[in-house]
Amino acid sequence: MLDRRNIRLILLATLAVSAVLLIVFGPTFLGRFSLNVLTRSMIYAMLAITVDLLWGYTGVLTFGQAAFFGIGAYATAMVLTHLGSSPAFFALALVVAILVPLIFGLAVGWLSFYHGSTPLYATVISLVVPIVVTQMVFSGGVWTGSSSGLVGYETLPLGLAGYFRLTGVCLAIFAVLAIVFVRSDAGRLLAAVRDNEARVAYLGMNPARLKIALTAVLAGVCGLAGFLFANASGVVAPENTGFVFGTELVVWTALGGRGTIVGPLFGAIGIDYLSANLSGDLPFLWQLIIGGLFVVMIILLPGGLASLVTRFLKVGGGETKLSATPMRPFDKRADDASLLSIRKLGKSYGALSVLKGIDLEIRAGELVSLVGPNGAGKTTLMRCLSDGREQVEGEVHILGRNIAGCTPQDIVALGVGRKFQVASIFDSMSIGECLKMARFSHQRPSPARSLAEIALPAPTVEILQLTGMAGMLDKPVSLLSHGQRQALELAMVVALQPRVILLDEPTAGLTKTERMTIGTILKRLTDEMGFAAILVEHDLDFVREISSRIVVLHQGKLVLDGTVEEVVNSETVRTIYSRGAHG
Amino acid sequence: MTLILDILSTAAILFIVSAGLLAIFGVLKIINFAHGAWLTIGAYCAVVVAGLGINPWCALPLAFVVGAALGGLTEHFIVRPLYRRPLDAILATWGLGIVIGQLITLWFGRDVQFTPALLAGAVTAFDVTYSLYRLFAIVAALILGLGFAFLLDGTRLGLSARAVIMNETLARALGIDTEKVRLATFMSGTGLAALAGVLLAPLTSVDPNMGVAWLTGAFMLVMVAGSSFGALAAACLVFGAAQVLISIYFSPVVGGMAVAVLCAVTLRIRPKGFARA
Repeated sequence: MLDRRNIRLILLATLAVSAVLLIVFGPTFLGRFSLNVLTRSMIYAMLAITVDLLWGYTGVLTFGQAAFFGIGAYATAMVLTHLGSSPAFFALALVVAILVPLIFGLAVGWLSFYHGSTPLYATVISLVVPIVVTQMVFSGGVWTGSSSGLVGYETLPLGLAGYFRLTGVCLAIFAVLAIVFVRSDAGRLLAAVRDNEARVAYLGMNPARLKIALTAVLAGVCGLAGFLFANASGVVAPENTGFVFGTELVVWTALGGRGTIVGPLFGAIGIDYLSANLSGDLPFLWQLIIGGLFVVMIILLPGGLASLVTRFLKVGGGETKLSATPMRPFDKRADDASLLSIRKLGKSYGALSVLKGIDLEIRAGELVSLVGPNGAGKTTLMRCLSDGREQVEGEVHILGRNIAGCTPQDIVALGVGRKFQVASIFDSMSIGECLKMARFSHQRPSPARSLAEIALPAPTVEILQLTGMAGMLDKPVSLLSHGQRQALELAMVVALQPRVILLDEPTAGLTKTERMTIGTILKRLTDEMGFAAILVEHDLDFVREISSRIVVLHQGKLVLDGTVEEVVNSETVRTIYSRGAHG
Repeated sequence: MTLILDILSTAAILFIVSAGLLAIFGVLKIINFAHGAWLTIGAYCAVVVAGLGINPWCALPLAFVVGAALGGLTEHFIVRPLYRRPLDAILATWGLGIVIGQLITLWFGRDVQFTPALLAGAVTAFDVTYSLYRLFAIVAALILGLGFAFLLDGTRLGLSARAVIMNETLARALGIDTEKVRLATFMSGTGLAALAGVLLAPLTSVDPNMGVAWLTGAFMLVMVAGSSFGALAAACLVFGAAQVLISIYFSPVVGGMAVAVLCAVTLRIRPKGFARA
């Protein structure tokens, strides 16, 4: 019996062999027209793959790839037209065609992605970029040939067959690299950013920087495609840089199948080749059919044609393994100075003051519970501790460093892990992949391989064993129960090996047993391993059992800070809660 | 004086063109990338009316009705399944735009057409002669803006629409038929776009792809304006002025992309754009 993994391999191998055969022998049986068109289609296919890496994998819808392509093509044509066409200038053209889009891509990326930017904003920028580039081409006068473009420059002396083979090789190499990358650990990070950008930041990585780098590198690839195009076609025109061409790339990617590499490749080649053949006979009808098909596809089959195939080839049940790396407990006594110190912290939204003059010190090994009625400011306090860009009064120091202005990933690097109220994990991944993501700030992910063994700190492994998840690392997280999701997020946060863990209602909605498990884990993490934990909690019985200290917040003020006995028996707490309970 | 009128009328035209897109984005949080196609539909309504030889003003109600009717169908079959996937909605409506553009090409041919001026000639006042039609555009934008202010603040539909803008879940819980509000909003947005197409027709030539050129500008302005017509008016004035001034004193080519670039920069510095709070 063939299992699906084998079918997949056989399919890929068949594809690879036929690609090689086509590249080598294509020119012997294909006519002039087909060779010309297919060369162009293959260049476009490279662009479609860049669109797919950004949109299908990372979730950034972009219309801007046409602009980078156009810049590469124009850079080539301008060098060859205005400087000359000796071999040295061809080399120069190639370098310029890659570097200029790359640098431009960096600038566009910096503009599009910053902490808190919306996906829509990146799309907006990707619309503006081709417009700007097109206008620059129009206003370039003799330099760019304005609206008629550049034509008649010397091109590489390769002939039709040579260009066909060169483009085919470039496309094949790029496609293979892309396939290897998206299946690697580093490539899965793209999907993590698409699924849950905030979580990526709170795992100590910088999602904006990742997207900027991706944009820049892919802009360079588009530039290379532009170089090939300018040589193969012998003409560059403003349409090559335009926003309409950018949308066509997206259409091909969508029809072929976003989120796969092979889909957009075939989408681009197939549609462009058919267009060239059919648009002579049915000029407007063809565009009409493509447009209609595109609309239907987006609504009914968002995964494109490729999803029809991949649906049957999904590889289930890999064999990811765990290995526990021993972790030395944090020394509780060595530095008696506090890990986290809050001085006169205040936070207000306009006239509404949510926190006022909070003073708090947290030392290693403490499990401090933060209690208080709804609206007391507990979650706001957690946010102020984990994101230094919140506008606050007063100061928060972590390990002696003032966190004002620090991004979440900076604070993670200082040693603070945050678990959110609603489990924040990566919904399209498996348990094992989520855990891998949590280790990337310690170990750089490999861009070529997907490791079968995940090395995790011992306490993380213990959490997974206690909650029964250690044996099912390949299970998709979408199948997990509410309690398991909470535990997984806690395991991910602990895998960061933070000194301080912030937990926002980790037991909300859990069963009694699950709650006890989490309680046991937290107690062990703090008592035995020397983590410090701050816990927001409503369940006073739970708090009483596990805390080493309780802090009571009421109407934004810290009203009590003491041992469990002191707080539980305090009159103040009773009044606050009874008043809260009776309205 | 001419300069001021240029700025005002440019802003007015931008406002007219973007109003329909804003109505849809403001309430539905969906970007109708087929907006350009609706401008084109409107313009071709003007062509049809001119071809029939009846009063060119008849094109206005005709365009509104045709635009709204097609908008209703679009909302029902294309946009409704995609409310949860806003980026996909951009793509689906863009695809629809292609389809409409090609249908128009099949029907009317791809040649450029011209429509008779709704108002010909120029007026002279304070020693300045100015195109009557561009002056009319300012009036039309004012009517449109005030009309919307009335619609939002003075009618039941407006009240429901504002409720949906602020908190859709709550609105639904309070018994507002959000589906109906969405349908009505989408229809009025597309109706407006077609209306804008009629008004635009005498200023430019009419061809099947005329809408695309206006789409990006309108889109950028709406991004900056958020969901408020006041903010849209302000954005149109500021960026319209920038476009006119840059075109006159610097270069028309740079002026042509001024709106898009300035909007992008504004959003980078101030993600909420011109919208308050």
